[in-house]
Amino acid sequence: MENLTFYHGFVVPFVVGTSVLFAVIFYKYVRWFTRLPRRDRQKVRRGIFSFATVRAVWECFTECLLHRRIWRVNPLLGYMHTSFALGWFLLIVVGWLETTAYLGGRFVPLQGHIFFKFFTTGLEHGPRWGIDFEAVMDLLLLYVLSGLALALFKRIRSRALGMRRTTRLTFGDRVALGSLWFIFPMRLLAESITSGLFGSGGFLTGSLGGLLAPVATQGLELAAWWGYSIALGVFFVAMPFSRYMHIFTEVPLIFLRRWGLRSEVREKSFDHFQIEACSRCGLCLDPCQMQRDAGLEQVQSVYFVRDRRYNRLTRRVADTCMMCGRCEERCPVGLELNTLRLNSRHALRNTPANDRYAYARNRDTSSGGGRTGYFAGCMTLLSPRILKAMESIFAAVGEEVWWADRSGGVCCGRPLKLSGEVDAAREMMKINAEMFSKQEITTLVTSCPICLKVFREDYVLPGIEVVHHSEYIERLLGEGRIGLTPGTERFTYHDPCELGRGCGIYKPPREIVRRVGTLVEPAETGREAMCCGSSIAGNGLDKNAVGKMGVAVGRAFEQTGAGSVVTACPLCKKAIARNTSLPVADIAEIVERHLVPAK
Amino acid sequence: MNAVNFGYMISVARGIDLDRNDLTSARELGDEMPEFRACIACGGCTATCTAGNLTSFNFRMVQTLVRRGEYAGAYREMNKCMLCGKCRLVCPRGINTRGVVMLIKRKLGDY
Amino acid sequence: MQAALSLAADGLKPVIVERSGAVGGKLRDWHRLFPTMTPAQEVLEEMAGRLEHAGVEVMLHTEVEGIGSKGVTLAEGKTLDAAAVIVASGFDIFDARLKEEYGYHVYDNVYTTVDIERMLNKGHVALHDGSAPRRIAFVHCVGSRDEKVNQRHCSKVCCITGVKQAMEMRELFPEAEIYNFYMDIRMFGPGYEELYQQAQQESGINFIRGRVSEASPTIDGRIQIKAEDTLVGRPMKMTVDMLVLIVGMKAAGGNERLAASCKGVTLAPSGFVAPKDMFAGSVETGAPGVFTAGAATAPKTIGESIAEGAMAAEKVVEYLKKAK
Repeated sequence: MENLTFYHGFVVPFVVGTSVLFAVIFYKYVRWFTRLPRRDRQKVRRGIFSFATVRAVWECFTECLLHRRIWRVNPLLGYMHTSFALGWFLLIVVGWLETTAYLGGRFVPLQGHIFFKFFTTGLEHGPRWGIDFEAVMDLLLLYVLSGLALALFKRIRSRALGMRRTTRLTFGDRVALGSLWFIFPMRLLAESITSGLFGSGGFLTGSLGGLLAPVATQGLELAAWWGYSIALGVFFVAMPFSRYMHIFTEVPLIFLRRWGLRSEVREKSFDHFQIEACSRCGLCLDPCQMQRDAGLEQVQSVYFVRDRRYNRLTRRVADTCMMCGRCEERCPVGLELNTLRLNSRHALRNTPANDRYAYARNRDTSSGGGRTGYFAGCMTLLSPRILKAMESIFAAVGEEVWWADRSGGVCCGRPLKLSGEVDAAREMMKINAEMFSKQEITTLVTSCPICLKVFREDYVLPGIEVVHHSEYIERLLGEGRIGLTPGTERFTYHDPCELGRGCGIYKPPREIVRRVGTLVEPAETGREAMCCGSSIAGNGLDKNAVGKMGVAVGRAFEQTGAGSVVTACPLCKKAIARNTSLPVADIAEIVERHLVPAK
Repeated sequence: MNAVNFGYMISVARGIDLDRNDLTSARELGDEMPEFRACIACGGCTATCTAGNLTSFNFRMVQTLVRRGEYAGAYREMNKCMLCGKCRLVCPRGINTRGVVMLIKRKLGDY
Repeated sequence: MQAALSLAADGLKPVIVERSGAVGGKLRDWHRLFPTMTPAQEVLEEMAGRLEHAGVEVMLHTEVEGIGSKGVTLAEGKTLDAAAVIVASGFDIFDARLKEEYGYHVYDNVYTTVDIERMLNKGHVALHDGSAPRRIAFVHCVGSRDEKVNQRHCSKVCCITGVKQAMEMRELFPEAEIYNFYMDIRMFGPGYEELYQQAQQESGINFIRGRVSEASPTIDGRIQIKAEDTLVGRPMKMTVDMLVLIVGMKAAGGNERLAASCKGVTLAPSGFVAPKDMFAGSVETGAPGVFTAGAATAPKTIGESIAEGAMAAEKVVEYLKKAK
């Protein structure tokens, strides 16, 4: 036992690979951490000794190892990812236990753990601590190999694993993937040959070794171990430059996120943790309507993140996105894909505000007065039926209303922000906020989810609660201030992106619809609802793409069998109306039709 | 360079000289975004314009001038746009007008 | 109607299948026809009289489901045997409510050109409250040349209709200010350009080159419209008492059913029936024995539709001879 040495020529590729890997990762982490803005570093200091850390540990377990979120997308795909992550992780942990069980506390260099079978042929076999380690290790190896088989299968038939499209790989990814595929089969081969030569091994390596024994030679054995070591070495060198960097990056990302770090409208160091935590699994591809309906390639979140990571992001890629958030809902790593896209647009485009909207200052054209304000928003001004419906509803409850922009107003600033002109957007927001604060309003109702989102997210409006008109109407119903006559019409409801995924408002419009008729949901709804295609974030989309996506949306609603479509956004309303023969109405119009003022 | 007030073209003394204007940028803009060329000059965009309601900003005219190779002041003018997108809703040709604004600012801007 | 007349004259036995209660289609709603201001009733009566005289069979209130191999499939599964079919189902009027920003059926006093024709026929054109308009604006190209409502095509007859109605308004309201907001004025027919000039010079109609972007109500119940006067390059606003939307022609809703039921009949992207070719085969379809006349294939004037009726009848005769 004292004669055990853990050195042999073939370990060199492995040792070199591991050293490069850890050096690069160390370099990256130090850089990213030290460049975190002061605010973020404070959050880390505050969070580190809080309960958030415990929760982060648990999340690392469920996500990095078990990949729970991928299981939800497709169990087979989940199994594949888990087998690699959990299987390999356990191979390392159990391997380390095995070493300790056999050799006690003595120091074993890293390669001794990894190539344990090769270096310990002289040891007496059999269970240690009552555990048949050889069998356990074989079982784990088999587990990983089963995942590998699925991965190979996925390359041929991704649909079987619930993915219609898979990511196109970069060169670094191909090198890493190629070597990854070799690692476990080579390990199986090497361990089996050694087992065959020395009569050791578990149920897998032992029996395969038995089969190979007649042809096994020491030369062949060494060749197999060399192969295994080279595969590992190449993989480790490629790893930090490929998508496999996510294996390490996801862990700090989870901790930082639990400690409250978020990406912002301006790029910052925390973004690196998000960008490099992307495994390019490609789950974001299928929900993307630009891909599915408009046939636009290489612009989806996975490619955007890839291009940004390798510093080759173009404006076209950054701009070609509706920021509908469907991919974000699907991302198993929980990346803030919309915010990252936004701060890239900012980085590529933001131009000095230069007081360019000075002309809009003090040009208040509002009218009326009261505790309740109403901000129609630019798009609503082109949808007079919504305006008229709101007027009727306000009149029915005798609300005195301050009309902020009925005769034209200043844009809310969100379109500018989504285009990356963050500084100019701020200037515009200030103009509106000043106008609001001069009023006595305590509630500001808006019919436009785009305005709603920016009012809630970016405006500082002390003493003013901003609500969407669907929330306002639901409140009136709840307070019994208005009533609705029930009806028999069959409605389907479209969730506007900015209202649903953007502001989390799903229930109020549905409650209202149910009170006046039957609600039938489209195939994709709620958090997975389709985007109408006309998103104001879609600056980079030409009319053909918008048109194609619109047609698909129209078809989806016609397939529900509903008699009409209801939505809660003037922009969505127009986009859908263009693409279906069904009547399309805003939730407020439906309410107006069924309105009964309370006595 | 003389400042051109796009709101009051009538007072601009010089004509457009297509023999002298350099149309390279105009061509490039059109190549990058072919629908930029589809304008039928109906003026719907300018009529509905949120910014144009408050100041002298005429989107239709600025982009037409750009297509004629009259670039001076176009960036500054386009910066008045709030990108609200009403014009895109109105445009009978379905042109991505907000995209046109961004494109002109990028191509002809000084940043 | 003309197709049936021509077929009857050739000794064949045509049957007119009509969905509504009378033949004549939309002509029955029109008041006077451009450019001669001939009363529509005159044209209609003359043709209907000839139809009766020729003893052409007319099936009223009969919906066509499609065209099968044996003939025309009617509602409730009945079939009308026919050796050849002429599709003369015309067009639909664009639903102006889809251009919500113009406020049709939202504000009082927003009308379509079809409403105006009906009012003219009734002999009473007035605002919602019965008073006379002092300022009237016509909006050209509503539901034409507009991708936003999937109507890319030019409806062809609206320009001249707008000019005609503006002049009729001038006759009715000599004191009113009348404005026509247009994108392009397309005066393609004989006498049209002359009528346009007459409208400008004698009727004092103001033509403003700019598309109206939206209409909004004013406190006193009038309508404010926004446009750009593109020839001056400045945005403009104006308040009017009456807004008339010159609505375009939409492909008939039944065209899709027709194409689905009859192999060989295809539709153009605009939704109108695609002719076999644009020139020599303009009244033929891809299906042998199925012909077209009038606005089923594209927006057309009444004169053009009548001419096509005669042409389609001739093609039918030719086809039947060959088939023998």
